[in-house]
Amino acid sequence: MEKVKSIGIDAGSTTLKIVGVEEEGKILFSVIEDADPKIEEQTDKLLGELRNNYDIENSKIVATGYGSNLIKADKKVTEITCHAKGIYEYFKTGGTAVDIGGQDNKVILISKNGKVVDFIMNDKCASGTGRFLENTSWRLKISTEKMAELAISSDNEVKISSTCAVFAESEVISQLSRGQKLEHVIKGLHRAMVKRITSMVYAIGFNPPLMLSGGVAKNKAVAQMLEEELGEKPLIPENPQIMGAFGAALIGLSE
Amino acid sequence: MNLRDSIKYLFSYKIAGETFIKLNTKKAFKNFKPPKSWRTDILAPPLKTGVYTKEIIAKHYLEGRYVNGVKPVAWVTSGAPIEILKALGFYILYPENHGALCGARKAALEISEEAEKKGYSMDICSYARTDIGSILSKKTPVGKLPKPDLLLCCTNICQTVLYWYRVLAEYYKVPLIVIDTPFVYDEAKEHDIEYVKKQLEASIDVSEMVAKKSLSFTKLKEIVKLSKMAAELWLEIMSSNKNIPSPISVFDQFIHMAPIVEKRGDAVTVDFYSKMLKEIKERIKNGIGAVKNEKKRVLWDNLPIWYKIKFLSEFLAEHGVSVVASTYTNAWGELAPMMDIERPIESMARTYTYPILNRGTGHKLKTMEMMVKEFDLDGAILHSDRSCKPYSVGQVDQRLKLLNELGAAALLLEADHNDPRAFSDEQSKSRLKAFVEMME
Amino acid sequence: MLHIDIPSRKEVIEKAKSEGKKIAAIYPIHYPRELFRSFNIQPIEVWGPPKTDTKKANAHLQSYICSVVQSGLAFYLEKQLDIADIIAVPHSCDSLQGLGSIFKDFINPKHELITIYLPREKNKENVEFLSNELKRIYKQLSEFCGFSPSSEKLMEEIKKEEEIDEIVDKLYRIRENLPLSSRGFYAILRSREYLSPDEFKSKLEYILLHASKGRLKKTGVVFSGLLPEPMEIFDIIDEMDCFVAMDDMACCMRRVYGKGNSDDPFERMAERIVNGPPDPTKGNSFNERFGFLKSLIEISGAKGIVFYNVKFCEPEYFYHPILKEKLSKAGIKSLIIETDINEPISQQTITRIKAFTEMLRENEQ
Repeated sequence: MEKVKSIGIDAGSTTLKIVGVEEEGKILFSVIEDADPKIEEQTDKLLGELRNNYDIENSKIVATGYGSNLIKADKKVTEITCHAKGIYEYFKTGGTAVDIGGQDNKVILISKNGKVVDFIMNDKCASGTGRFLENTSWRLKISTEKMAELAISSDNEVKISSTCAVFAESEVISQLSRGQKLEHVIKGLHRAMVKRITSMVYAIGFNPPLMLSGGVAKNKAVAQMLEEELGEKPLIPENPQIMGAFGAALIGLSE
Repeated sequence: MNLRDSIKYLFSYKIAGETFIKLNTKKAFKNFKPPKSWRTDILAPPLKTGVYTKEIIAKHYLEGRYVNGVKPVAWVTSGAPIEILKALGFYILYPENHGALCGARKAALEISEEAEKKGYSMDICSYARTDIGSILSKKTPVGKLPKPDLLLCCTNICQTVLYWYRVLAEYYKVPLIVIDTPFVYDEAKEHDIEYVKKQLEASIDVSEMVAKKSLSFTKLKEIVKLSKMAAELWLEIMSSNKNIPSPISVFDQFIHMAPIVEKRGDAVTVDFYSKMLKEIKERIKNGIGAVKNEKKRVLWDNLPIWYKIKFLSEFLAEHGVSVVASTYTNAWGELAPMMDIERPIESMARTYTYPILNRGTGHKLKTMEMMVKEFDLDGAILHSDRSCKPYSVGQVDQRLKLLNELGAAALLLEADHNDPRAFSDEQSKSRLKAFVEMME
Repeated sequence: MLHIDIPSRKEVIEKAKSEGKKIAAIYPIHYPRELFRSFNIQPIEVWGPPKTDTKKANAHLQSYICSVVQSGLAFYLEKQLDIADIIAVPHSCDSLQGLGSIFKDFINPKHELITIYLPREKNKENVEFLSNELKRIYKQLSEFCGFSPSSEKLMEEIKKEEEIDEIVDKLYRIRENLPLSSRGFYAILRSREYLSPDEFKSKLEYILLHASKGRLKKTGVVFSGLLPEPMEIFDIIDEMDCFVAMDDMACCMRRVYGKGNSDDPFERMAERIVNGPPDPTKGNSFNERFGFLKSLIEISGAKGIVFYNVKFCEPEYFYHPILKEKLSKAGIKSLIIETDINEPISQQTITRIKAFTEMLRENEQ
């Protein structure tokens, strides 16, 4: 059985991510599950399953994310530090990391040597976060993947001006009822979200390259529009959702 | 004065620009007809003298493009005592008016986003965001704004301008004059007026230093006289709306008030409002109302919603509602009688302490009650302006009093004067409809 | 850690009442405590209070007015200020201006209502104006109380405040030698909002006695804003092995005034306020505010600044972008957090504070 040196657990608001690394920091496994309200039981169960295939008896455990308080861990570190660490080690470069999560957006400036120089998060409201698209996806009964495809293929867009995720939903509906084309409205919705993110990037002082993490990074429309707005092609890890857990696991290595 | 700048100013503004604008005005006046999109079915045609509003404003901003190096430039708040600066030959720019212009041309959002990108909160005044965004990005619908040599900030409209002008002073590294006007809870005290007077006197030194010349009191008196005359005419124009039907609407006033704010103290402004008053009297004689089928008359409280003027004006006109009076446009006329040409500084101290925005919430209620009676009104629309706390705080009580004590229908309309994100078409329509039904 | 008992506002009010004192409920920010005390009035400040149910305030205020003003009004409407004889509203910002005006024109409390206009710039004319404004209030209080305290009495109270300011200033300077948690330290400093000068002074002296030579081996941060509410925010900082080493808060440091020069009591009170530390509501220049923040960092050895801003507070908002930039150029890290004093601290705020302290410590290494 392979020996796991360190495990990172990212208990986010929508998903639970677990990553194990060996002593060089290479990823041995990664698990993603929808977050269960009973996070403690869920992590115990997942770790139990991992025990069948990996030697995790002496692994360090570092937890991060909103649910981290409920997890037994050797260390607890915020998502900011973990994402920065994960992204930096993945791409081996400083720059601007943008993590678009379920309820939070974070923009992190990372120095050449991998330190967090500055960061900002969205304010309380959820516009610009993953939830912004999910609400509408649920309302229109179209998957977020399908929405992204529609947005990319659309040759036009309707301006969605609302700043609030709840109001935006009603604005989408009223635009549709006014006879606007679905793909135009959806493209406008993506644009509104991306604009919120880019304004955060500018607020902190954009320093390329742009690196994405978090579930929404997989959304092709968002990536494409970020490129349009910032004039910089974003670097996207193969598995952007696990960057926080990966960073947490790496932090465990130096414990 | 810089020679190259002066030559450019002379050719581009004085010779080519002015001539072109004047010709345009002449043409527009001769072939006067409403714009295609004008709803002639529900509204009277726009005022013919309105072509001069365009001319005055176009000239003002065109001059601004070439004025640096030719005249000293001051950026001032909308309620600032500009007479001293005018007498010293300053070119005066009003960032708030520029903000309103951006709003009316639907450019304010994009420009304020530039300020938001730099970390300015969405919860600060949308005029300030528009102004700061414009400075940071150089975006403006008027081409180019002149850089200030001096900043003059008077707190008689809000405290917000104080922090805003600190930001401007930081960006431009030029002197900032603050005229701090104690808030008038009931009546201004002697020491309040004395304090403002001393600040005005102290401001002369700084202004003279920037202008590199001394103030002529003869000139100052002349400016005060012109300022007073224009304000009196403006007041008369607004009063003419006591006529039923009202010859112009408050939405027209929002557009045509630009000169009284921006070109107060200029002879051209006096001339302009005399012409406008004549046209209005003509309308009254012919029984023309701004709203064709005027059934209900209401007042507007607070700043305009610049990006929705057409929408609101048409929606209300469709329902036979004419907005005939407003506390906002009134603010540039109501103090005219206080100006005393023989005692310019003393009377300025008093006049500039007494704007409605520097007075208590009870005073504003009284003003609205007076309007309801004098203008024979059926209701009031109180624009609850997210961006303007001093104007908006008190409206909840004022609305109830208007409703309960005068029996006037009163609506609190949630919006923002320059940020379209705070306005919802659908929601506003349903509220306005309910308001109209209340009056029936 | 040192434990110091602090009586509650309620206990202080009851005691003052039993001693025949009048009670003045005073809204934020600047006012001369000494003027009220000369009239045997106990000033009790109303900073919110936090965690108030503000629904009653909706009958007078729109939702875009900050939570400090909302709570302050709701607190009155819940009859919590009925015990007071006087309500005073300093003119600190547009919203408090509105509150004072609504009180006067629409709410009409049975209390004696006092408004105080504060001049904005630092100069001679402003001292003169404020001095006249304080004379006006003196007259109003004389009529209300039925007597006029002498100049000597005024001077005596002024000097008491000056002495306290001096001790507070000293405590700030030796903050890292004090065996107090962040919350503990600020609970005492903030008891000045309602304690009598003698009682407050005795608490300060007690702390001074217990100052140690050993230093807190923790990373310090400067806290800037109106007020640290909810106070649990400090526990989060302490939990991260950090502490609040210094502040630039309206309820604390911004009201630690220097001594006045004048022998005229009114002028002296005015001098103290007008020449006090920079405060966004006074509209100080960026250089003044930046210089002040930088000096706080230098004195305390703190590693970063947390701007803890009550949502909708315009005076604070306007300064943030440029201050942040200036600080960053000077190598000082800062964090902006938005708060509503009536809501529990959000998980997101906790994450931000923790990440900020992680960043400070990482960069310390």
